[in-house]
Amino acid sequence: MSEIKKSSAAATWGMFFIGLVLMFAGMYVSTSVTHGNIKSLEEMGVPLDPGKTLSVIGVFLMLFKVIGNFFLVPLSDAITTRNSDLESTFTEAENLRNQMDTLKSDYEKRMAQTEADAREKIQSQIKEAQELRKTLMAEASSKADELVKRAQDEIAAERERAVSGIRMHVANLSLQAAEKVLGENLDDNRNRKLIDDFLDKVEVPAG
Amino acid sequence: MSGLIQTGLSLFATEEGGEHAGHHGASYWGLMVYFGFTLLILFAFLSIAKSGFKDRVFKNKWSSRFEQVYLFIESMCVNIIGPHGRRYVPFIITFWLVIFVSNIVGLFFAFTPTADLGFNLGMALISIGYVQWEGMRSNGVLGHFKHFAGPKLGLAMIPITLMIFIIEIISEAIKNVSLSLRLFGNIEGGHKMVEGMNTLGTNIIGPLSLPFGFFLLPIKVLTVVVQALIFSLLTCVYISLVTHHEEEHHEDHGHSAAPMTA
Repeated sequence: MSEIKKSSAAATWGMFFIGLVLMFAGMYVSTSVTHGNIKSLEEMGVPLDPGKTLSVIGVFLMLFKVIGNFFLVPLSDAITTRNSDLESTFTEAENLRNQMDTLKSDYEKRMAQTEADAREKIQSQIKEAQELRKTLMAEASSKADELVKRAQDEIAAERERAVSGIRMHVANLSLQAAEKVLGENLDDNRNRKLIDDFLDKVEVPAG
Repeated sequence: MSGLIQTGLSLFATEEGGEHAGHHGASYWGLMVYFGFTLLILFAFLSIAKSGFKDRVFKNKWSSRFEQVYLFIESMCVNIIGPHGRRYVPFIITFWLVIFVSNIVGLFFAFTPTADLGFNLGMALISIGYVQWEGMRSNGVLGHFKHFAGPKLGLAMIPITLMIFIIEIISEAIKNVSLSLRLFGNIEGGHKMVEGMNTLGTNIIGPLSLPFGFFLLPIKVLTVVVQALIFSLLTCVYISLVTHHEEEHHEDHGHSAAPMTA
């Protein structure tokens, strides 16, 4: 839509002058001039008054300028202003949309990057955890082996202690029994030696 | 001012008799008073509409209506004449508004300017005169008159060319008559029909008369709109016929249409 421009003052006044001249000329023709042809036309049912026609032409020449400047120029200005406002609003909206698209794509990129980072971190954590698990398992296994070994050693020591205790007890019992059988007090150290030798000979290996 | 309005009947009146029976024109001053009255109504509405132009979106319903009329006329000018048709919007819209309001006045009052042949002939002369002016402006005086001679024919065909030229000149002159008579005939014919119908209803039930002419209101309303449109439309067509070379010229050179001047 193009804007209606206000016509120049000279053109407006020129039109007004011509219009007024025609108006008055028409008034004169209508009221003072009679022509046979006009009368015959009127008799034929065609009521034509050239004076009116002249005046109407004059009024219209003024009217074009008046309606144009009074109404059409402001209307056109209002429409143009509104259209340019709308256009700028649309442009602004379009820019915002583009900005939003850019932000959205940035956000999506960042999201994808974050997801990839997170995935990578998770994978590395899983790997680390697996390694840690292996290490812990190995540690636990070695500790368990150590504990078992220690327990076995303790068991062996206990067994040894128990066996020597039992041996001592058996020797005592044997001595007491022999003492009672022989009725005499034998030399204690020599007897013990004899018993130990005896026991070594008769001892059944531990199962 | 006595005898200001010699005759003329509204939708609700019956036919006049007496000295001026059968003559339905107004005197010079009668026409001017009615024309002034029409313009008063038109400018009253234009003022109401103009008061709403300050809003970004027109809230005043008359502003919106006039905007629609403006856009309609603009679209008509552009569609018929071409992109440079916008230049003629003030000219066409002035005709449309005056004829439309004048025809509306004719629905309710005894007389209307458009029911006067002299008035219509004045408008037609301006219209066709402007068309000739635009033709000469866009094609040059010689170029414009060359159009009337039709296509270029050989020397032997000069009589034919001359004949075409004369016929075209007569045709241009007759456009004034057709424009003015069409409007006059429709509006004045409408009045006559109303008068006839009202006569039928005179003293129909004792002294009571019924305005049968009122039943013609829908068709008269249609005439009001159609006649305003036809006058404007034909002016557009005539302008288009003499300026279509200008459009081609603009298209060829990629020029934008000149701005409208009020």
